[in-house]
Amino acid sequence: MLRQIWIVSVLNFKSLPSRFWQSMVIVVGLAATIGVMLSMLSVSAGMRQAYYASGDPNRAIVVTKGVEQEPQSTIARNQAPLIAVAPGIAKDKDGKPLADRTLMTSVPLLRKDGSKGFTTMRGLSDKGLGVRPEIKIVAGRMFQAGKRELIAGVGAQLMFRHMQIGDKVILPDGEWPIVGIYKTGDQLEGQLLGDTETLVTTLHKSAYTTMLVRLASPDSLDTFKKAMTTNPALSVDVVRHSDWYRRVGDQTTFALTLLGYVVGTVMAIGALFGCVNTMYAAISTRAREIATLRALGYGAFPVAVSVMLEAVLLSVTGALIGAGFAWVFYDGKLDLFGNVIFHLSVSPHQIELGVIWAVVVAILGGLLPSVRAARLPVVDALRAT
Amino acid sequence: MRYLPLIWSAVMRKPTRTILTLLSVTVAFTLFGLMIGLNATFDEVAAKARADRIFTNARFGGNGMPIAVARQIAAIPGVKVVTAVNVILGYVQDPKNQAVVVMVDDNVPKVFGDWGVTEQLWDVVRKDRTGIVMSGIQAAHWHKKVGDTFTMISKQMKRADGGTAWTFKVLAIGPDFPQNSNGYILGNYDYIDKARPLADQGKIGEADLLANDPATSTELAARIDRTFANSATPLVTITEKLARAGGDFAGLPIKPITRGIALAGMFMVLFLTGNGIAESVRERFAEFATLKTLGFSDRAVTMLVVLEAALPCVIGAALGVVIAAVLARQIPAMMPPGFGLPLPTMSPVVIAWAAASAFIVALLSAALPILRLTRMDIASALSGRT
Repeated sequence: MLRQIWIVSVLNFKSLPSRFWQSMVIVVGLAATIGVMLSMLSVSAGMRQAYYASGDPNRAIVVTKGVEQEPQSTIARNQAPLIAVAPGIAKDKDGKPLADRTLMTSVPLLRKDGSKGFTTMRGLSDKGLGVRPEIKIVAGRMFQAGKRELIAGVGAQLMFRHMQIGDKVILPDGEWPIVGIYKTGDQLEGQLLGDTETLVTTLHKSAYTTMLVRLASPDSLDTFKKAMTTNPALSVDVVRHSDWYRRVGDQTTFALTLLGYVVGTVMAIGALFGCVNTMYAAISTRAREIATLRALGYGAFPVAVSVMLEAVLLSVTGALIGAGFAWVFYDGKLDLFGNVIFHLSVSPHQIELGVIWAVVVAILGGLLPSVRAARLPVVDALRAT
Repeated sequence: MRYLPLIWSAVMRKPTRTILTLLSVTVAFTLFGLMIGLNATFDEVAAKARADRIFTNARFGGNGMPIAVARQIAAIPGVKVVTAVNVILGYVQDPKNQAVVVMVDDNVPKVFGDWGVTEQLWDVVRKDRTGIVMSGIQAAHWHKKVGDTFTMISKQMKRADGGTAWTFKVLAIGPDFPQNSNGYILGNYDYIDKARPLADQGKIGEADLLANDPATSTELAARIDRTFANSATPLVTITEKLARAGGDFAGLPIKPITRGIALAGMFMVLFLTGNGIAESVRERFAEFATLKTLGFSDRAVTMLVVLEAALPCVIGAALGVVIAAVLARQIPAMMPPGFGLPLPTMSPVVIAWAAASAFIVALLSAALPILRLTRMDIASALSGRT
């Protein structure tokens, strides 16, 4: 049986070049479908990756109970010391807890093309670098505590105008100069950093946004969480930093991902009809060949399988071409969505997804034609010219 | 017209092929309609955006800005009228059901009259401070009619007594406009201002204004920003025209994306229809030779092939656009709340583009077969030696 399938399929594939343009219908259909879908998904996937990369399992974020987004959280100034002394937080070499009081606000900037955009400005307190050791100054210097100055991320420099050392950013009661450029390798690169306490005063805030702490070890989250949730003076949620970003990333990209799949599905349906059409045409072209094989004693099943295999081969070829286009044009391209700077991504995982879609389309599209091929009346087909 | 039976028999020669082609074309044009329709909505919004309307926000939100800023802006030369805006963000019953009530003052009909907020409509809210105007979309969303009460919870906007519940009376149902596919709920700014804690009173979130001269409104916006640049509340000001011009949605460039998708769909069907018509002509090569022998001119034969190719394209395009129009109305229900993607509109421009694309696809797919037919050697075609 397997041998029959092999022989019939090889014979079939050898005759493919004579049906080149016919076959191109499937290839182009799937290439368009998968190309478009992966291009759209490259945005949401890239953004999700940027979020995922920003979380560190060795950190925990403290937010107001029940909030789902960082900017909605407020940590009163008198609560910050209560949080910092809790057990489970790592200590620096002086024995001080590595707890960073964070302030977050969005700041309007001009994009490189001159249109208005915005990014996040984040306050970093005295223990900020201890909690986030990934912040590396690549030019200029770090901002000084108590001074009205900022440092800009390399991503922000790529996306916005006026992000060089010496440029000024408008803040309440005057402009702040940029004194340094930093790199982190994650989402933070698209932002601006300044001193938390100075920012709190300048922005007339009465509270911090969140607290970010470095855990003594990844396992000490439970200790820390227990101390936070059992303290009656606090009404906060504690989430592992990586889990937090994972959730925020999924939430932010949900609608976009959905949109990609919806467009992909609609196009796949269009490609499906094309596939059915082509496979019907293919078996009518191959009618004599199939009838001859059947007359020689080959079974109906190998014939059906060969039709199916042809559909799969063509679909997958199309999907790979589409994925190739999406990869060449979009993978790795820098993009800005809201205030998140990230690289578009067409990953092997997504290409795999595209191939799976193609196989599904091929199987659905090849089903009816393969049944017809298997049932082809041998004598009539041999007589037909 | 007299060719109709010929074309019909050609199309119906292989009904399966015709129907499958039609279905595929219909799907492609449904997508085309949705995408180009979305494009059309953005164009319409950009076209309707007024150069003389200017939006001013606090550069650093959160605490908003004092209402005094709105009065100072009103005093800047070139400013015609300013309305103060504050927004209550909250939810109804469950945090998942997000709701937004925009609180505005008595100048709102002067600034937003062209959005349907007329003096008469606003008058009902002016007279009853706890009242709101709901647009048709919002009224349908919350199942409200005139006379109902609408209660929302806002953690961000607390009342003087510490409460978080805001109750309003629905006084009128207002018209919707394409600039805002989520609809709107308008309330009276005086109401929240007096109901908030003393420390929060007199704070607004946004000031929207009309300029005297649309031609210099961009400079006016820049002037407003400059005036407040070194103050305690720096502002970020933009004209409506500029804000809508980019055609961005949440940072995504809508135009290239929608056009790209529509084009990919067309490319997909082009191969399908092109192949279909080529096959059909190949199978009936002898028939065409007969027609030519009977005295059919090359033009007549060309016409036959083009029409045969055009039939599924045009019918598919028409069906696709109709399906897209129906689907477009379902989109708000399918999107996550607050996503706010505008509805695709099936404007005459979209229909014209769909028709043009259908004909282009038909012409392109018919081109090669026609070339073969005009160059055919009739004698050998009739004898089957092709």
